[in-house]
This record gives sequence, C-alpha cells and structure tokens, in this order.
Amino acid sequence: MSLRSLNLPGIGTKYEFKTEKGDTVAIFFTKTGTIQMYTLQKGCNTPSAAEMTPAEARRLGNILTGAIIEADQESVEIAFSALADLRVTIHSFLIPKVIAGRTIEDLQIRAKTGATVIAVCRHDKNIINPAPTFVFETGDAALVIGESDQIRMFEREIMVE
Amino acid sequence: MEGIVLALFLCLLLALITKYLSVPAIPFYILAGIMLGKAGLGLVTSDVISRFFSDMGLIFLMFFMGLGLKPERVAANRSAVLTSGIIDLNVNMIIGFVAAYLLGFSIIESLIVASAFYISSTAMAITSLIENRKLMLREAETVIWLMVFEDLVLIIFLALISAGDQNLVIFVAKVLGVLAVLYAFAHYGKEFLISILDRDDELPILFTFAAVLTTASFSMYLGVPETMMVIALGVAFATTDPDAFEQHARPFKDVFLVVFFVFFGITIDFSGGMNWFMILVICVLAVVSKLISGILTGIVIHGSALSGLEIWGNTISRGEFSIAIAVLYGSPVVATTIAAMVIVTSIIGSFTAKYSSWLRRGILGLGRKKSPPHRVHVTR
Repeated sequence: MSLRSLNLPGIGTKYEFKTEKGDTVAIFFTKTGTIQMYTLQKGCNTPSAAEMTPAEARRLGNILTGAIIEADQESVEIAFSALADLRVTIHSFLIPKVIAGRTIEDLQIRAKTGATVIAVCRHDKNIINPAPTFVFETGDAALVIGESDQIRMFEREIMVE
Repeated sequence: MEGIVLALFLCLLLALITKYLSVPAIPFYILAGIMLGKAGLGLVTSDVISRFFSDMGLIFLMFFMGLGLKPERVAANRSAVLTSGIIDLNVNMIIGFVAAYLLGFSIIESLIVASAFYISSTAMAITSLIENRKLMLREAETVIWLMVFEDLVLIIFLALISAGDQNLVIFVAKVLGVLAVLYAFAHYGKEFLISILDRDDELPILFTFAAVLTTASFSMYLGVPETMMVIALGVAFATTDPDAFEQHARPFKDVFLVVFFVFFGITIDFSGGMNWFMILVICVLAVVSKLISGILTGIVIHGSALSGLEIWGNTISRGEFSIAIAVLYGSPVVATTIAAMVIVTSIIGSFTAKYSSWLRRGILGLGRKKSPPHRVHVTR
C-alpha cells in the first residue's frame, strides 16, 4: 500500500492509495468543509464517489478502525479541558435478552460498575433519567454515562448477566 | 443606498435559487445588474457607496488570488503546468486577439478582450470539479494547475497594462520592492501574525481587513495599482497561515464581490449601440477556442482527445477575472462584450461540466458503433 498526499491549490488536500489488489481509494478534504471519497476498481475507468460531512467522515473512520462493532452502538467521549481535563464517555448499548425484565436497581448497575444509565430509547421514544425501578425490555437501547473504565466494566459485568 | 439594498436583496434571492439548482451564480448577478441598471429598468445607479463596495470586492478577490498563489508549488510541478498552460495561453490569446481585432477593436482593446477571453473562471472550475465529483479524474489535476497558471499570467498582464506610461523597469522595481517589504514583514513578523490570527475575538478579522485596506491605500503614493499591491500582500501572507487569512477575509470577499458583480451589470450601458453579431461571434469563439486548447492539452498531457473534452468541459466558464479586467480597463463596448461572454460561457460551462462524462461515453459509444462489431471469444 502506497499512500500519497497532495495539496491541490484551491481544492484542499488529497490522499490517495492503492490497495494490494490494485484498487484505488482517494480522499479529498475540500476547502468547502466536505470530504469526498472516491473508489476506483482495478481496470475500471470511472470512479464512484461519496460526499460526506465531517461528522459522517468521522463515523466512517470509526467503522474502518473497528471502533464501532454494531451500527446502532456507538460511544462519544467528551473532554472538559477547563475541569482538570475531565473526560466522560457516553455509550449506547442494545439490551440483550438476558437482562430483559430486570430493573436497574436489581442489576446493581451503579454499585457494580459506577456507571449510570441516563436514558433509554424504546420504540423511538426516549426515557430520560429512568428510575431505579425501571424495567428493561429487549430491543431497548440504553445510554450509559461514566468514565471509560466504568463503561468497559458495564459491558463486561452487566451486559452478559 | 436604497439601490444597494435592492440589488443585494435580489442577489440574495438569486443566490438561494442558483445554489438550489447548483448552477453558477455569477452570470445571474450580472443579469440582475443589467436588469436593474442603465441598460434595463434604471432603478439603481452606481454612487460613491456602491463604488466603494465594488472596489472592496475587487481588492478582496485579488487578495484571495495572491493567498492561493504558491510560486514554489508551480515550480515543483513545472513541466506539466508549463505545457498545458502555454497551450492554453497561446491558443486562446491568439484566437481572442485576432477575433477582436477583426471585429474592429483597437489593438489595446483587442488585447483586453483577448485576456478576458483567455482567462477561465477559477472559482467556477473548482466548484464544478467538487460538485460534480470529478476530483479523482486525472484531468482534474490538469484543470487545477491550468487555473494556477492562468492566475500567474493574469498578474503579469495586470502589471504590464497598468504600468501604462511609466518606465517598465522602474515599475517592475517598484512592484518587487513592495513584494520584498511585505515578504520581510511576513517573515520577521510571522510569530506576531500567527499570535493575532489565533485569537478568538474580533482581532483576526479586523487585522485582516485593515491590512488589506492599508496596503491598497499605499498604491496612491507608489504608483503601483491597488490590485498589484493586494496580490503582493496575499503572496506574502501565504507564507504564514494562508488558511486562517482565507477564513478571516472570506466574509468580506463574499459580500463585496456580489456587490461588485451586480454593479458591474448596473453600469453596463447599451446606449453606445449593441453589436449583436460581434457578441455572438465572441461567445461562439470563446467556447470553440477552449475546445481546441482543451483537446490539444488532452492529447499532449494525457494522450487522449477525450481527456481534452473533459478539460474543455470544466474550463469554458469565464467569470470573476474576466469581469475584473473589464472593470479595470474596458471601455463601455468592451465591458458589454465581456459581460455577454461571461454570461454565455458560464451558463454553457455549467452544463458541459455536469454532462461531460455523458458526452465522453456518447462519443465512445458512437466510435464503437461505427466499427464493425466483432465477437471476441474469451477462454478462461
């Protein structure tokens, strides 16, 4: 794989690389703020293109690095540099069958992991700050907030219960 | 003042519509100006305020050009830039000049028409490459470098023509002197400049505006035109943080340039007599001569006339620089001719840029139909 980067006057920065199989991928960070990705299959003349906003490009990047495993689970880390570099991670989890029917209290989420469930999305409705007596159902998406270690703990301890 | 408000409001509407349809806005600003101004309804006339705004538009356009101009980059890509650039320059300048001269313009006027005829719109070419998702085509790079070369030629042309009666050696020395002073300022004041640009209060934007205006105002004392002064400033500032300067100068450029285009249209006067035949000839030739230069460039650089067609499709549009030439040096008849050429070529250009790949495929398809079909059996 040979990566080539190029500064094009008036356009922006171009990154291009050839894959081992001979396909070409080119990414352009344009001055208009959008990101264009072109792929050209080996032996083909017309590339196909996709235009992305920076947010979409980041999401694609996350997928490519393997950070997001499922399309509907993702996490955001927010850093507050003014508050002694406080970092908070918010992660979304799909509730599996094994914990359906149990409550937040009963799962001892806070005690076991230190993380907090701040919202649950059920059938396109959002329940903010669910009470300890809240009962999970399969198909719920829970939004969990905490430090990244606490989130990892949540994933290991609670999601497999 | 009401005139500017009316013109700006109309331009705002046009901007919304053209962005929605993704066609270039410049020809419509000029048409709006023609409609409102002397040649049309006569609702708006240019006054001191509008002239000041228009001047600002031109100055910021030139400052931007200077910022984007990186001589060292051209030097790095010399062979490709020079070949395509020289073909483009010769073909279009000669066709433009001969046509204008035969149509009855004086030699100086013909030179001005030829320059406006030669220089494609960088803004439109680049927008079309991005919007039509052509950046990966190998012709795209050729088009981009062509635009850079054309900008360089424009600077030389502006220098030559604005030197006027002055001794050319003294004039060049003055320009180089200005450039040296500004370079030194950018070089030794680099940390100061960057510390100002990094702030998030009003200072960066105020500084950018003041720097451009101050530099332009020195032109009176030095006998160097404003355009050259601000291009030099742009080139010098490009050695510090060009992106930051672009970001801070953009609001001024965007607003003032629209005023510049619309008031260019407003000042157009048909009372001197409109020679429709002349305008038609120039417009047709403007499209044809870029086709010739495009195909030649395609053959020389990419070894394919079809590549030339792609280059042609993206470089037909004449725009901001042609109008700048018309405003700076054109007589009313020249300005009208250039206005018509910009309007026609930029509208045609927006279509050719959009459909050039279809055109290519169509021609390839025709070529295939003509040759007798023979079946090739592939054994694997």
